[in-house]
Amino acid sequence: MNFLFLITVLLYLATTIFHVLNLALGERNDAVSIRSRIEMIAFWVTIFSFSFLTLFIILWWIRQSYFPITKWSDSIAFFAWTITLVYLIIVRLTKLRTLGSFVMPVAFIFILISYSFSETTSHRSELFTTNWVIPHIILIILGYASFIAAFGFGLMYLIAEKKIREKNQSLFSNLLPPLDVADELGYIFILLGVILLSIGVIVGSFLPTYLKDLPWNWFDPKVISTLVTWLIYVVYIGIRQFWGWRGRKAAFLSILGFLAVLCTYVGVDLTLDSLHEFQ
Amino acid sequence: MNNIVSVGTSHHIAPIEFREKLAFSEEQLIESLHNLRNSYHLKEAVILSTCNRVEVYAVANSQMISESPTKTLIDFLSHYHRIGVDMLKKWSYLHQNIESIQHLFRVTSSLDSMVVGESQILGQVKEAYDISRSAGGSGTILNRLFTKAFSVGKRIRTETTIASGAVSISYAAVELAKKIFNSLEDKTVAIIGAGEMSELTAKHLVTNGVSKVIVANRTYERAVKLADKFKGTPVSYDEDLSFLIDADIVISSTEAPTYMIKRKQLAEIMKKRKHQYMFLIDIAVPRDIEPDVNKINHAFLYNIDDLEAVVASNIKDRHEEAYLAEQIVTEEAQKFHDQLQIFEVNPTIKALHQQFQEIADVELQECLNLTELSNTQETAITSMAHAIVKKLLHHPIQNLRNSVNDGNTDHTQYVHTLKQLFALDEKYDKEQE
Repeated sequence: MNFLFLITVLLYLATTIFHVLNLALGERNDAVSIRSRIEMIAFWVTIFSFSFLTLFIILWWIRQSYFPITKWSDSIAFFAWTITLVYLIIVRLTKLRTLGSFVMPVAFIFILISYSFSETTSHRSELFTTNWVIPHIILIILGYASFIAAFGFGLMYLIAEKKIREKNQSLFSNLLPPLDVADELGYIFILLGVILLSIGVIVGSFLPTYLKDLPWNWFDPKVISTLVTWLIYVVYIGIRQFWGWRGRKAAFLSILGFLAVLCTYVGVDLTLDSLHEFQ
Repeated sequence: MNNIVSVGTSHHIAPIEFREKLAFSEEQLIESLHNLRNSYHLKEAVILSTCNRVEVYAVANSQMISESPTKTLIDFLSHYHRIGVDMLKKWSYLHQNIESIQHLFRVTSSLDSMVVGESQILGQVKEAYDISRSAGGSGTILNRLFTKAFSVGKRIRTETTIASGAVSISYAAVELAKKIFNSLEDKTVAIIGAGEMSELTAKHLVTNGVSKVIVANRTYERAVKLADKFKGTPVSYDEDLSFLIDADIVISSTEAPTYMIKRKQLAEIMKKRKHQYMFLIDIAVPRDIEPDVNKINHAFLYNIDDLEAVVASNIKDRHEEAYLAEQIVTEEAQKFHDQLQIFEVNPTIKALHQQFQEIADVELQECLNLTELSNTQETAITSMAHAIVKKLLHHPIQNLRNSVNDGNTDHTQYVHTLKQLFALDEKYDKEQE
């Protein structure tokens, strides 16, 4: 089991390397034919990695006899899986494979964290036995994965804009989408993320009523950081709608939001005491 | 001795700021051509001034001017445009004779262009040449040179594929627009000023889907005229540039000497259009749009040099064809150079030959009139006379031709001496006419 997980980690590492290589080669106009091959390899390695991770999750599910999401290290592997899934869906819809150069490294880091902590985390909490917990977690993870896609588009926007402004020679490498596309897609995924996160939080807010003995605390660090994250994105949507903020400022906000997601999902769990701590 | 010389600058070696200073307007061209002939004692001159290059071609007679002909041209440019000689020397190329010929051929074949294979340059050179000819700037030698340059330009365009699929400036502009806008279909393009280049770019944008065209010109009639070509809307030119509020793509190519669009003004416009992206293309030299406009959020400015850089890095596969074209240029330049020199000695050779032949004919006739000879004898004597002429002239003519080709001997000195010794002047002048 562990061996399979290790292979998955290595596959994600390979995916990351190929994607970053693809981006780096895009800077050079003389590497067009090599780059298209690298892009192809990167894509197929992603598919392969995704299949392995799926297989791993299924096997893990069977062995544990419950869906492997309620342990923190499991959920972060599921997070990586969701990021990959969202990425593959985006590629299917928009053909923007370069997005992988930004989101696949994130997925790799998550899977690496999951791997390193898989031994240390103990049994799941009794609190997580109710079935409502699973949609709560899945919805929030899906929302976060959307934010990570938006973060990828934000970075792509910033790089594309810089290239156009500085008249960079590799402007035509076709790596990056037109500015308005990167901007618009970033916005769409933030909208989607906010909707999913909102529903997930609402589902979660019903949990204390089901679990009568839950020591509920509104000042739980995870609740607060989630609210901050949610607020960043809601404020972003607001100023975009009312003040027409777009482009660079919007891209920076999507990066800020991404950092908030990291703090909420990884930071809080590793440092602070929280009811949401999975241990 | 006549020298073809040229001094010039182009986008290859000089920044736009320098080319702007060196540019000539049409009135300035005519004035300068007179200047070059009268004050600088050059025999012939043509000035080419486009947005990418300023070049002066001239024919100098070494006996007529005291210093070197390229120095004369540098002096003229420095004096006329008030630019330091050092700066001019740093950012200009100086060519003489075959180099000049070769350079002009490269220019007309568009091998030296920003966009190799484009055809606009041929028209621009023709225009410069026509202006010079009607202003009395060009003469026998430059007329021949430019006529040849046009035919070389055409030959290269038909014999090589550099012209086909030429990645033009307008093409680059469209490709760039597509890096900002996903679709051009609901976009509006504004053209400020008129000009072939801006018209071409606008046309390209329209074929790529741009649906709305606004044409602004200080002269409203001109705006109407150009707008008709694109089914566009003519607008009168406001100093506050309010017509730009709806423009997603702006192409500017006016002849204004100062910036038409300043950063402050455009920042206001951008606010009014709610920071929708704007892509500005400045084709004019001197420039129309303040370079700092590129620092405004969501506004992207490209001038002609930027477009060149973009185009240059994206042209591939044409190296081979360009190499072939370069070979044609070298070959044609050499041929023309030789012809030109032979053209200088030819009348002398002809006159010399004619003179000898006439003397022989007269003497032969006298001799034949004196004696009765049989047909065979007559033919023998006639051919002997012709053979003598031929043999007498063989070495002088051969050496004269060689003096042209070896380059060490000054053939004009020979021509001069021959004309004096044999009193050829009268005949030589007739030939010239």
